[in-house]
Amino acid sequence: MTWWTVVRFLHVLSAALWVGGQLTVSLVVLPLARRMLDTDRRADVLRAVGRRFGLFTGAVFLPVQLATGVAIAVHKGVTWASLAEPGYGRTLAAKLLLFCVVMVAAALHGWATGRRPGIARALAVISLVGSVGIVLLATALPAT
Amino acid sequence: MPPVEVQIGVRPENRPTVPPVRSRASWHVRANAVVLAWLALTIAAALAQGELPAPRWLVVHVFLLGAISTAILIWSEHFATVLLRARTPDPRGSVARLGALNAGTVAVLYGVAVGPWPVAAAGAALAVGAVTWHAAVLVGIVRRALPGRFGHVVGWYVAAAGALVAGGVLGGLLAAQPGGGALHERAQAAHAQLNLLGWVGLTVLGTLFTLWPTVLRTRISELTRRWSRAALWLSVAGLAVTVAGLLPGLRWVAVAGLVTYAVAVAVALAPPVETLRRRRPHTAASWTLAAGVVWFEVALVAEVVVVATRPVVRVAAGLEPLLPLILAGFAGQVLIGSLTHLLPAVLGGGPPRFKRNAALIERGWAYRLAATNLGVPLLALPVPVPLRLLGWALVLAPAAAFVALAVTALTRTVSAGTGPAGTGAAGTGAAGTGSAGTAAVGTGPAASGAGVGPPGGGRRSRVSPAHVGVVIGCLLTALAVVGAMSGGSGPARTRVAPGAEQTVEVTLRGMRVQPGVIEAEPGTVLTLKVVNADAQRHDLRLSTGERTPELAPGESAVLKLAPLAGAVDGWCTLAGHRAAGMTMRIVPTTAAAARPVQSSPPGGDHGHTQGARLDPAAPMPSGWKPFEAAVEPAPSGAEHHVEIRVKETDLDVAPGVRQRMWTFNGTLPGPVLRGRVGDLFVVTFVNDGAMGHGIDFHAGALAPDEPMRTIDPGERLTYRFRAAHAGAWLYHCSTMPMSQHIANGMYGAVIIDPPGLPPVDREYVLVQGELYLGTPDARAVAVNEGRPDGWMFNGAVAGYKHAPLTAKAGERARIWVVTAGPGTGTAFHVVGAPFDTVYKEGAYLLREGDPGGAQVLDLAPAQGGFAELVFPETGHYPFVDHHMRRAETGASGIFEVSAP
Repeated sequence: MTWWTVVRFLHVLSAALWVGGQLTVSLVVLPLARRMLDTDRRADVLRAVGRRFGLFTGAVFLPVQLATGVAIAVHKGVTWASLAEPGYGRTLAAKLLLFCVVMVAAALHGWATGRRPGIARALAVISLVGSVGIVLLATALPAT
Repeated sequence: MPPVEVQIGVRPENRPTVPPVRSRASWHVRANAVVLAWLALTIAAALAQGELPAPRWLVVHVFLLGAISTAILIWSEHFATVLLRARTPDPRGSVARLGALNAGTVAVLYGVAVGPWPVAAAGAALAVGAVTWHAAVLVGIVRRALPGRFGHVVGWYVAAAGALVAGGVLGGLLAAQPGGGALHERAQAAHAQLNLLGWVGLTVLGTLFTLWPTVLRTRISELTRRWSRAALWLSVAGLAVTVAGLLPGLRWVAVAGLVTYAVAVAVALAPPVETLRRRRPHTAASWTLAAGVVWFEVALVAEVVVVATRPVVRVAAGLEPLLPLILAGFAGQVLIGSLTHLLPAVLGGGPPRFKRNAALIERGWAYRLAATNLGVPLLALPVPVPLRLLGWALVLAPAAAFVALAVTALTRTVSAGTGPAGTGAAGTGAAGTGSAGTAAVGTGPAASGAGVGPPGGGRRSRVSPAHVGVVIGCLLTALAVVGAMSGGSGPARTRVAPGAEQTVEVTLRGMRVQPGVIEAEPGTVLTLKVVNADAQRHDLRLSTGERTPELAPGESAVLKLAPLAGAVDGWCTLAGHRAAGMTMRIVPTTAAAARPVQSSPPGGDHGHTQGARLDPAAPMPSGWKPFEAAVEPAPSGAEHHVEIRVKETDLDVAPGVRQRMWTFNGTLPGPVLRGRVGDLFVVTFVNDGAMGHGIDFHAGALAPDEPMRTIDPGERLTYRFRAAHAGAWLYHCSTMPMSQHIANGMYGAVIIDPPGLPPVDREYVLVQGELYLGTPDARAVAVNEGRPDGWMFNGAVAGYKHAPLTAKAGERARIWVVTAGPGTGTAFHVVGAPFDTVYKEGAYLLREGDPGGAQVLDLAPAQGGFAELVFPETGHYPFVDHHMRRAETGASGIFEVSAP
């Protein structure tokens, strides 16, 4: 148990909140809202949920994830060049790229909500599935 | 006249012809169930490729001969009937043709995959017969029909049937395998072109003229009739020229034919393309058909390039990568697209059921279409293994989904009650359908020319945003995972170490690694770009643990090394390759200057001590049976068909030593082939081993390029040779390093009797070979240094001492001897019984009745001959290689001669 354990713990915890939050909203909140609320109230509630989740993403998730992630990478001696190497480097690079795509999808989802509902829904699901993919790649990174 | 709609089996108040129509629907249920069953079988065969004999061949033929040909038979008859508004042919005939084609198909599949070949040839004949009959029926329909606008379509079908007859006959001949190697390859190329471009291609092109506008629900193009006729002549001529070029091996004639055919396709597609300008594809069927046709064009262009750039004997092999384009991309999608449109229409049941069936069959079509067309290029292009597997999944899953949906639709129709013909008491469907009743094609009557689709058919697939999200998300993740896994599993740790980076290209070729030595300053971060430039598989492993995957010819891989600290050895891990010299060494410059790199293979100095000690006198394990040395006389007949499979088998090669050997058919030596001068041997050679192997029959005279080539595990080849000369001949594995392959047991004997060979009381064959013991690596080193641990007659050290060969006093015995080596011959001698006849390498050295005698039959490695003797009295007569060290370490046996 070192300070690096704490950093890694924060990284994993924040990721769990982000992925878990999306799963909860999609699998628990949305179906219930559809069944139990009328159209107007549902829109209000879902918009509020979305806004809160966006706030959490911007204020907590992204800063924590970027800070801890960069710290862990520096600690492990990751360089730009090493990202191209097969094995650890490429897995990490793939994970980072997928992370960027998911963040873009999430941001576009916020923009499309209320304007293009169909696109917004698709983007939300892309973000969710992509996040699960990031977890998959993260587990493929050898722990050291 | 109003356009004819597809409302089969409803409104009995309007249509008195309902019962026959019903039975028509039931015919389609049953006939198309056969198509779907073949399609399901194709998917199963593709999934089980690792388990099947001749996997690739089976998948291709289950699909093309099973699913596609059955569909062509059903639907070309249907279209011909409907378009020409002819009477439906006698359904018993249709059933008989379909039955004959399917029985023929099963026979071909069984005959080729399991044998014997006459079954396959008979199956091909049956299938060809069925299609010939089919063509005759079509011609009959045209003859009887009134002149109309659609007669030209039947011309395409008849031409297609003609192509199948020619292609099928070639296929049957290929199964029966006469003639030589190069001719076989050329015939195979012609067979493929006739069946793919002719039987499948011409049928599809002819059908598209009417099916395409129908699917798009628009008018048939005005261009159709004239262009169709021109295209038909052009394509038939093109195909004929192609085949005429391929068979005698005239490459440029074949290219000219193919180009002509491609032009014909362009002409034939002009009317559909013209239609496209009026109406875009908007339904499942139209998009799927369009995608199929596009793949056809892509495949055609690629084919022209393949045929133009390689000799004709290699065309068949060169077309292999195109198979996914033609099978999955073209034929599969055209079949699925057509069935998507046609099945709901012919299943009948009125608009409500039509809508339900159509909705069912079209379910999720956009995803299926996208997946298939993403998967096809992944299968055709040289991509890494994970991507190829993804390609298979992308192609097979949608096909399986279609089969499931279509089967559900068929089942529903049957259970809905209009199915079985028994319900229609009024008629058998043979009569009375001559009117517009069954226009399932949806074409209007000739006068109006309006193609009319099924009512309510072809809705757009409503794609839910959530599904789109799931698909895109999964694809992104899959891409990321592929990216993460690319380049193999590299070093598990990233480093930031000082030292320059340097990339070196390393070539694997001809049992050598080039360069053999790499010098670099200590601390350098080396990246090796490893290229396999050989004709067989190799890999490269480093003593520091990095390794490439097994590389097929032409493949490459990148190895990134840790900063150079000390000397690093590298070698190919395929059995025997390291010992054959496939080694390299990376040395820090200072060390390199001080100590030249040793040229001897690593591990060479301790290989010998690793070998188990041989004790030829110890007992063999109970249950051990010697190889049968007694040899039967040559079988009758001038053709001999043999299957030889490479197998890795654990064998008792010496008392107390059971060792994994590489064998032909699981025995050591392989099967003994025997015939007379002039006989034709047709050997089906199958590689069931774990690495590449080949076979080389010394008894045949032919160019080694094709028949003796190395084939990968799971592949097969046919090796035909005519025994032009008498003698005792060796056959052996032809893959380098041959010393290793022969030393591991890959050899056998072919006996060709000299004309007038008199019969004798006993005939034996003994194949002498060396034995190497220990771990595969130790054995490989010993082979390389020519240090056998023992010698064997017929695959066992002193085997015939433990299980003596028997004879009776006064009998004449003929002993055929062949030496396999790899490094040593024999001085074959029988103690106590001089030879009165010696035949060596095609000539008698001594004949019975000559005053002289002989004590030894001497053979260099890979020579053969026989000696004859008469056992004078009862007793035990040892036979040995009189090079005594070999006799004492296993090259010995006993004739146990009893009283007559």
